[in-house]
Amino acid sequence: MLYPWQTDDWARLNLERERLPNAWLLTGPDGIGKGRFARHLAMSLLCDAPGAGYHPCGRCEACHWFEAGSHPDFRLLAPPVDDEGEGGKTGRKLAQIKVDAVREVIDFAHLTAHRGRGRVVLVEPAESLNPAAANALLKILEEPPADVLFLLLADAPQRLLPTIKSRCRPFQLSRPDRETALAWLAEQGIENAQVEYVYHGEVPLFEHDPALVSVRREFIDGLAAPGFDTVNRLAELVEKHKLPLTRPVQWLQKWLLDLAGLRLAGHIRYHPQRRAALEALAGRADLDALMRCQTALTGIAPYGQHPLNVKLQVEALLMDYLSVFIPARPAATR
Amino acid sequence: MSYQVLARKWRPKRFADLVGQEHVVRALANALKSERLHHAYLLTGTRGVGKTTIARILAKSLNCEAGIGAEPCGVCQACQQIDAGRFVDLLEIDAASNTGIDNIREVLENAQYAPSLGRYKVYIIDEVHMLSKSAFNAMLKTLEEPPAHVKFILATTDPQKVPVTVLSRCLQFSLRNMTPQQVATHLAHVLEAEGVCYEPAALTLLGRAASGSMRDALSLLDQAIAYGVGEVAEDGVRAMLGAVDRRYLFSLLAALAEGDGARLMAEADALAERGVGFESALSELSLLLHQVALAQTVPAAIAPDDPERDALFALAAGMAPEDVQLYYQIAIHGKADIGLAPDEHAGFSMTLLRMLAFHPVEGGYSAPPAGGGRPAAPSIPAAGGHEPARAMHDGEGHAGAKALIARISGRPAAGESAATPPEAASENSEPEPASASAEGAPGAVDMASQPLRAASVTLSASPASDVVPPWVEEPSLAEEAVSHGEGRKVAAGAPTPLSTAEPDSEAVVANVDEAVFDGDWNGWVARLSGRMGTARMLAQNAALRSWDGQRLELSVSEAFRHLASRDYQEKLRAVIRECFGPGLELSVRVENSAEETPAMRDARVRQKHLAQAKESLENDPVVQLMVREFNATLLPDTIQPVQE
Repeated sequence: MLYPWQTDDWARLNLERERLPNAWLLTGPDGIGKGRFARHLAMSLLCDAPGAGYHPCGRCEACHWFEAGSHPDFRLLAPPVDDEGEGGKTGRKLAQIKVDAVREVIDFAHLTAHRGRGRVVLVEPAESLNPAAANALLKILEEPPADVLFLLLADAPQRLLPTIKSRCRPFQLSRPDRETALAWLAEQGIENAQVEYVYHGEVPLFEHDPALVSVRREFIDGLAAPGFDTVNRLAELVEKHKLPLTRPVQWLQKWLLDLAGLRLAGHIRYHPQRRAALEALAGRADLDALMRCQTALTGIAPYGQHPLNVKLQVEALLMDYLSVFIPARPAATR
Repeated sequence: MSYQVLARKWRPKRFADLVGQEHVVRALANALKSERLHHAYLLTGTRGVGKTTIARILAKSLNCEAGIGAEPCGVCQACQQIDAGRFVDLLEIDAASNTGIDNIREVLENAQYAPSLGRYKVYIIDEVHMLSKSAFNAMLKTLEEPPAHVKFILATTDPQKVPVTVLSRCLQFSLRNMTPQQVATHLAHVLEAEGVCYEPAALTLLGRAASGSMRDALSLLDQAIAYGVGEVAEDGVRAMLGAVDRRYLFSLLAALAEGDGARLMAEADALAERGVGFESALSELSLLLHQVALAQTVPAAIAPDDPERDALFALAAGMAPEDVQLYYQIAIHGKADIGLAPDEHAGFSMTLLRMLAFHPVEGGYSAPPAGGGRPAAPSIPAAGGHEPARAMHDGEGHAGAKALIARISGRPAAGESAATPPEAASENSEPEPASASAEGAPGAVDMASQPLRAASVTLSASPASDVVPPWVEEPSLAEEAVSHGEGRKVAAGAPTPLSTAEPDSEAVVANVDEAVFDGDWNGWVARLSGRMGTARMLAQNAALRSWDGQRLELSVSEAFRHLASRDYQEKLRAVIRECFGPGLELSVRVENSAEETPAMRDARVRQKHLAQAKESLENDPVVQLMVREFNATLLPDTIQPVQE
């Protein structure tokens, strides 16, 4: 099913149905439901009897197969999932689509369709194609056998090879406006929907975990009252909940952005409900140290999922953060 | 799904249908006519300019049943089979998915057999840049001397990834990018044939958006037809392209030039609403900054018919050139970091805030210290760069250099040599930095440290110079003279420095015993810190709140609460009573105050010394000579100011 804010996009897409491309490149920011849109599209292309507005019927054999994830004319090209249990999610995020998977898809494309309604290949996300895989896809993308359609998803299409982009027809998915998104979030029964929505960069789809939210709140409470004791407390907090490093790094990044934003532009993006605390801190923040701290965060960000000693890293970052508010401290050499 | 996209449908079938690339077509046509055919061609160019197309037409020309020529008939069996992609003697190989040596070996093994239908066996190896190294090498022999019935046509977007040994065996044609006019004309042709109405202005827009690639243009045209429901209108295309419009960049830069943070953030939010990708916005921004810099330095480089010329020059007039450089650097760095930010919007606004933060006019914020965030700051001397050159221009540096050479060679210095160093040091009014520079020099000048030390020793020992250079002076003496308020007479009277940790401490205590505490807490702590023992920790981190002649009230910040314990207080009280008599009272409270504590003062002074040490080292003629003559490198990180 589509998300409520995607109906306009769906109607817009239907206009292009008469002129189906070889490949659609669906773009838009992370967290607006590109994957669901693409699956809906694939399902409607494979459906035996699409209903009004090309929506898949959901009753025919093809739809059942698709929903069960076993449609023989559909291929998902995605980074392989690690089987390492807990580490699975982390592994998947970093992994790439390898050239072997692409070769397999090429072979698939050269066979005839199982059900005679065409075949669909979904590449999700297209940025995770490694260079060899992306190049291997070029020829098939340009001149696929009849009835094969590629769907590529990308958050950051500018990172794709220009040769790939040139072979696809771009289609930009829209981000829902505030009211729609908030209404939808409220429907999902997420408490504090507004705060969460704003905190996640104003996109409606984000990982929601009430336990994590309370840890985050505690962490940010600590950031709002910087001191030597908080450094220890927060580092232990992160340690206790066994969070990967990316969490505190992102929290701190967003907090710093708001500090800098408030100081320089009077603009708060992620923590509007904490304006008072931010104002108190922004006044005495040393901009130079703040930017240095931000650089340190950016430096550590790529290692967010690595098995580093999280507590040590968080302590080091928080010490940097502390130096933002201690004016006469000698410049840290990092 | 029977619709075929325009880019495929309109793939040219004859040389005459090709748009642009006349230079290639002409060479090929002439070669075909006179049958002077090379056995291997390499076609290069960006995406969508016609590499694969030309390769296929060439294959047709070679195999057409009507005979070899620049005009394949298009009706014979060979031509039709090639168009349909099922001619047995045309092997189109996707080198990007068959990259290995085994794939290539398999292909080449068959090369020796004669073609079954056509005149030539044609191998089109597309995306050839992806072949592995061994696959390339396996090709070399066959590529150089293939059987007479074999022709190779290689196509790639990346010729620099192809080994030179392959390049030298091929006849290389590089295809040019299409001009926007060529694209627009061709699009008009396609639309007329397709029976779609259009506005010419829309095609111009598409032509520019395609940036040189015909396939991009046709893909966009497909999209535009769908978008405009069967017609291509200017408004629709403009809305569809959206991001290509650069007006938002100008308002962004204007806000930046005015230092208007609120407007800047509002512009960034507007970008998000319009669905412009932030990463591409940053690249566009750096591109625009480059143009602004061009407009400032080489105005002639901006084309007079550039539609944005006026806006560009208005921006250029409103920004300082160094700011433009700074923003450019920050934009480039920001682009690299954007993937590491929590989301793209955050990365983008942080980059803008960075530009604002290092904007020199931002309220009360001066340039950051060297090595800070300002990447373009010229304060770090480049080895062998402009620093020595400036010294040469001084003229005085010349004389200094001669003297230095004399000194290094071990001879006692002449008068002028002795006169130079104090002059260099006298720029700094206090004696401390001079001593700092002396102490810092051997440690910092990495490779040249030995000769330099030798040089200063020679100098200090030389009886010829009356003026003793500051660095020979005992550093502690200089320190003492400044910090030792009323004890100056001791320092001045006796040449032996009054060291704080001397064994005859009783004498010193007697000396200061008469003194009444004058309210200078920082000074007092600095003087006595050597003898305080554990009480020092408290004294260092406490600030004086009040002093009424009898009662000393100190405040300790929250972060140092543990220092305010009874133990420490007792010890400090003992020290104070020892100095100022037993009647003194001491009380300590925990609170955050703005008062500067001795520890903060030390840190600040140290920072200042470090800056001065760095500066005097950089200006030091000896160091400059080392840099010039021996290609020495000053390691600014290793400079340490002298410490007691």
